[in-house]
Amino acid sequence: MTTNVIINRSAVRWLPSRHRFALAQLVAFARLRRGEPQDADGPDHLILPIDRDQSAAESYAVAVWVFLTVASYLVAVLPLPLPLAIFAAIPLASIVIHIPIVVGGLTLRLLLGDNDHVKIVSVGTMSLLIVWSFYVTHGDSWARIVAWLFFGVLACNAIAALILWLLRAEVQAEENQCAR
Amino acid sequence: MTQQPAWWHRFHARGVFWRQVLRFAILNTPPWLEPIAMASWSLFFLMWGTARRGVMRNLAVIKPGSFALVNFFRCYRVFWNYAWTIADNVRFKELRTIPDWEFTGWKYFEEMQERDGAILLTAHMGSYDLGAHLFSETSSRRIVMVRAPETDPETRAFEQGRAAEGLRIEFNTRSTDLAIDLLSIIRDGNIVAIQGDRVTGEIGFLPATVFGRPTRVPAGPFALALAARVPIYPVFVVRLGRRRYRLMTARPIELVRSQDRDDDFRRAVEQWVGELEHVIRDRWSQWFTFEPYWPELAA
Repeated sequence: MTTNVIINRSAVRWLPSRHRFALAQLVAFARLRRGEPQDADGPDHLILPIDRDQSAAESYAVAVWVFLTVASYLVAVLPLPLPLAIFAAIPLASIVIHIPIVVGGLTLRLLLGDNDHVKIVSVGTMSLLIVWSFYVTHGDSWARIVAWLFFGVLACNAIAALILWLLRAEVQAEENQCAR
Repeated sequence: MTQQPAWWHRFHARGVFWRQVLRFAILNTPPWLEPIAMASWSLFFLMWGTARRGVMRNLAVIKPGSFALVNFFRCYRVFWNYAWTIADNVRFKELRTIPDWEFTGWKYFEEMQERDGAILLTAHMGSYDLGAHLFSETSSRRIVMVRAPETDPETRAFEQGRAAEGLRIEFNTRSTDLAIDLLSIIRDGNIVAIQGDRVTGEIGFLPATVFGRPTRVPAGPFALALAARVPIYPVFVVRLGRRRYRLMTARPIELVRSQDRDDDFRRAVEQWVGELEHVIRDRWSQWFTFEPYWPELAA
């Protein structure tokens, strides 16, 4: 195997290093410390890779959060009655979210070649979302509540990152013990 | 001289353009936006009428008495699973990212690897490509995969140019030569993986009854097992969730040579169909058969 994998240890699912954002890492660390009862009806054999983007719950949660945030911003600016605006914002939000991927990906492909640009596009997309949210907080529409909520989640993530930094020795020890 | 397909063929559902788009997406989409991209593109591909109708017709047989509207939404689930599956496959090829793997029937899986040659019979479910890649990386045995080639020449060239290292793929178009090659591969103690749920192109077949309706399954794996005197292991790869798969190995099918060859085949096909039906019934949303499966449905 080319990737770092752990065999037959279901608790590995809760390794903080299998999560991307600090908030998710902190939740995973709490679950890891609490321990997980062995599932007698579980699979016969397990192969679990150590990859920061392996958590489904985290990925879906962030995707829903981003989608709802973008859709809310669009509902607020669309010159339509609320029910129609909501109806239109759902497909529009999906298209808008694709724009940084397509534009950023094509630009990076021209500049840097046909390689893996996920990290750059990821940082770029989140930066655009922060700028957009900052702009919305300065408006007078109801969407500014959503924007403040967005910054609230970012603040929670920053606090989680700080806690994880303070607990870094314990996290490392727990990870080593679990992955051993 | 072979005729070049028209330029717009690349935009057909099976055209190379969509493979290129998928590869581009894998190399540029942040993982935390993947679910949005998957949901959108699965919806987009519901416009592919031929495949949608094929899946819905098959679902009507798998789930008798079901409503067309319900099957339309079930069809979306099939497309959703397919989108994740092919994306995971490309991600493995391009970035070497592997998903979580769970195994059931581990004792049969180990037994298969300990044997001196075996046939792995699978279906168009989950990520059979990813499963074969996993197998080639974890097993000491060499695995050779037999599959139908892509129908579009440009797509075929694109996929062949990006095949993963260490995995040999044979196409079932040159049946006579291939049978001899595969026999030799098995006799050398290796494993041959074949998709045994549907007949594509001009290949030999055996009659079967799946979900109470007559159909055909490829004859090749059964004839090969009889010739090489090796068992057939039904193996299915199913998707459990995002980047999470289960590899299920069932009890092997032992073909015992008797006076009546047709009866030998019939018993083996019955056991295979039993396993296939069981898995499809439980995992209908992952059976990636986009054409009407039963000849009577196609007619």
